[in-house]
Amino acid sequence: MDMDEVLKVFIAESQELLQQMEEALLMLEHAPGDSDTINAIFRAAHTIKGSAGLFGLDAIVAFTHIAESVLDRVRSGELRFDAELTALFLQVRDHLGELVRLVDEGIDLSSLPAEVQPLHTQLGDCLSRYLPSTDSQSQLRATERIERGHEHGLSADHWHISLRFGPDTLRNGMDPLGLFRYLNTFGRIVSLVPVLDRMPAAAEMDPETCYLGFEVAFYSDADKATIDGAFEFVREDSLIRILPPHSKSDQYLELIRALPEEDMRLGEILMRCGTLTATELQEVLHTQVQSQQRAETRPIGQVLMEESLVQPPVIAAALQKQQQIKDNRNNENNLIRVDASKLDRLIDLVGELIIAGAGAQMTAQRCGHSEMQEATEVLSRLVEEVRDSALPLRMVQIGATFNRFQRVVRDVSREISKDIALSISGGETELDKTVVERITDPLTHLVRNAMDHGIEPADKRMANAKPAQGRVWLNAFHDAGSIVIEVGDDGGGLDPQRILAKARERGMLNEGQQLAEKDVFNLIFEPGFSTAEQVSNLSGRGVGMDVVKRNITALRGTIDLDSKLGQGTTVRIRLPLTLAIIDGFLVNVGQASYVIPLELVEECIELNSDEPFERGHLELRGQMLPVVRLRELFEDDSPRPRRESVVVVHQAGLRAGLVVDQLLGEFQTVIKPLSKVFSACPGLGGFTILGDGTVALILDIPSLLGQLTRVSEAPQRARIEA
Amino acid sequence: MNEAALETEKSTQQYLTFVLSGENYAVDSLSVREILEYTRFTPVPRMPATVRGAINLRGSVVPVIDLQARFGGSRTELNKRTCIIILDVPDEDRQQSLGVLVDAVSAVREIDPEEIQPAPAFGSHLRSEFITGVVRMGERFITLLALDQVLDLEALGKSANSEGS
Amino acid sequence: MSSDGLYRILPLEGGLNIYSASENMGLLLHALAPETELELDLSALDEIDCAGLQLLIMAKHEAQRIGCDLRLTNHSPAVIEAFELSGLASFFGDPILIKPTSE
Repeated sequence: MDMDEVLKVFIAESQELLQQMEEALLMLEHAPGDSDTINAIFRAAHTIKGSAGLFGLDAIVAFTHIAESVLDRVRSGELRFDAELTALFLQVRDHLGELVRLVDEGIDLSSLPAEVQPLHTQLGDCLSRYLPSTDSQSQLRATERIERGHEHGLSADHWHISLRFGPDTLRNGMDPLGLFRYLNTFGRIVSLVPVLDRMPAAAEMDPETCYLGFEVAFYSDADKATIDGAFEFVREDSLIRILPPHSKSDQYLELIRALPEEDMRLGEILMRCGTLTATELQEVLHTQVQSQQRAETRPIGQVLMEESLVQPPVIAAALQKQQQIKDNRNNENNLIRVDASKLDRLIDLVGELIIAGAGAQMTAQRCGHSEMQEATEVLSRLVEEVRDSALPLRMVQIGATFNRFQRVVRDVSREISKDIALSISGGETELDKTVVERITDPLTHLVRNAMDHGIEPADKRMANAKPAQGRVWLNAFHDAGSIVIEVGDDGGGLDPQRILAKARERGMLNEGQQLAEKDVFNLIFEPGFSTAEQVSNLSGRGVGMDVVKRNITALRGTIDLDSKLGQGTTVRIRLPLTLAIIDGFLVNVGQASYVIPLELVEECIELNSDEPFERGHLELRGQMLPVVRLRELFEDDSPRPRRESVVVVHQAGLRAGLVVDQLLGEFQTVIKPLSKVFSACPGLGGFTILGDGTVALILDIPSLLGQLTRVSEAPQRARIEA
Repeated sequence: MNEAALETEKSTQQYLTFVLSGENYAVDSLSVREILEYTRFTPVPRMPATVRGAINLRGSVVPVIDLQARFGGSRTELNKRTCIIILDVPDEDRQQSLGVLVDAVSAVREIDPEEIQPAPAFGSHLRSEFITGVVRMGERFITLLALDQVLDLEALGKSANSEGS
Repeated sequence: MSSDGLYRILPLEGGLNIYSASENMGLLLHALAPETELELDLSALDEIDCAGLQLLIMAKHEAQRIGCDLRLTNHSPAVIEAFELSGLASFFGDPILIKPTSE
């Protein structure tokens, strides 16, 4: 791994940590003093500092160090996270983000660019005000790496005893408990942490073998020989280390190295014993990293990876519950970071594989060679499995994106002086990474709109018997192969009459044209509805809503809106789960093949050619179903076959029938990106390539359904021209 | 290779020339990816006349543009000599491939910038922004196409909007 | 699902130490079953050493592994002392009633 790649990891991780820090800071506003949250902030700062140190990013190290010192005082209860300090730390976070961004851009931070220097100094000064004056104001400007306390001894005023009992200890009649009782006769065991790492699984355990180890903090005036003497009878096959009070950090490092357990875990135990403070442990670890660097026994990349992987739990150990640490550790060890472009390449290849597989299967069928057919069937089943396990790799939870809005809502609500709370649900809902990246802008727009124009001023809310605090929510869930994202508010809602008036004024409606309420609301997504003109007289919605709609449409998604005057508005975005590969249903009309997403197909019916369907309706089990011939919809003038079939499709409560010539069955559909050239084609969702190499069209069922049902629900009403 | 040859090498540019309803056109050969000597593409319904369909080019789906329709004429009649020229045009930060239907591909020619004359102010059947210049070849004129204008993706997509059914 | 919700109490008596370790290990492994709740009643344990502690640790680990809900209850004074000396009380996490003499 080269340095650039390691640096990339550092940048990506720092950004993640800063995001966590921001989330934690925002949480503190609601639950000030929550120690888990404070620890999360500390951990983020600490990890960034540690990693930055490895790259010699001294500006970041020095700056974060001060922040960390302030956080340390918060943790020890000397300071509290009041609104002022929280605000300061949000600025600190942003500034760190900026520094990391500069690093990402390849800018040398050894002398800070002029545009960040003033803020850097100012924030440093602000932070230093929270520190006792001895903790040095000047640290920020120090460009040397922070190296304290290497020469003088560390704070612990007790002996530290590390014990790993030999396997035969118990059989030899020794009981460690007895040793502890004995120690207590000439001193006091201040704290003691059992080390159970050597405990085997039940099946491998010999009940008479000793697997135990202990780290003991022992306060005593006795000399080393006396303490040593206590262990005389177990010395032979046990590992015993005794460190006197106020040992130096490299002695601790030596101790950590001598013991069999993983270094970071030991560090954590030493902290729990009270032998090392968090800061001292960092120092010890710092020494370790430095000496490793000097020795050049391992590439720096590896050191960094290990550092960043294991360090958070170390600090966490001081205050978090044991179980949490365990969970953390497991998660972290089970995750690997992969370059997204590598994943994309993999998905592309899987796509090619599916197309090639379909080609092979088709050829096999054509040859009529049964063994060949069987072989290709096995192959295509495997390919399908590969697809099914490859696609989820790109799925990410939407929660992280949602959480970013905590900050947006906080900042905007201050800016516009409205008290607004954001609630988030469905954050665990997964969707394609590409979609997540491209959904942020539209969501930001919608959230801002809800805050600016949806939520009424507090006095108006009170007058309408609503709570003074406005509520905006983000919600996500899966529904029929789509992900639905809702942006809602409990604000004033939209007034259909005013929208209609506005639309008439803009010449978007013909005089006397009637619209269903839902259609009225959706007018605000039409281009030309909103203009730069004062829009607040229309509760403001519509500013750039056409842009939002365009962004969503580009993702093969749909957007619509529900609103109740006086009660609020919910905007619902429906997006495909993935942009890459879907299960499709292949149909035929004339020479052309079309793919319908399988999950939207409800059933297929034979159409009796005698049975006329008038005015686009067909009776299906007593219900009227809007129906259209694809042949007519797509202006295909090839002759109609005698027998036709109806494919019943459904989504979001809408149903319709599509009349086709032939049903060709299920088909693994690799969605090819739709060129801009086709972006305005109605009813076209994308392209795919069939086994024989021809291009087939994927139908955009949601938009077709919208067209069909709208026309059929109100056949007497004219269609709105966009 | 002598100095003069080098000089020529530097200044002349290669153009691919083709024929479309009797007129000669040329495009910068650097934009040309390949020439397909067949016209088996999938028609895309409900598109304006300028967009004929899509073709599978080694796993990518490439739109097929009807140049004649783009120039304001009727749709190109497909016959045995009809070719699809695959051209690369910039699309934001990437390259997008487009196929254009032409009656016949003529040749790759080197054209000296000196020979290029500005587009005639009138008398051309093309919109002036589609033309970077004209070159005289014996009796005939060859029109050099401004691909960024002719194949402007936004415009091609938009025309779908205004002319679509 | 047949044993779902089964609740069992296993009293440990006398000494849980190096001398009885093998025997008690069998007993414990036998009592641990998936989808059950097992209560180890420690009220009658009047002696426990590190071998005994190891057995309890083993039981706890194994219970977690197989999905058995294991609880230690009615800690005898000997158990409480051993837990305190070994720093293991928080590992087991069960509430320890100290001297319920009021009843």
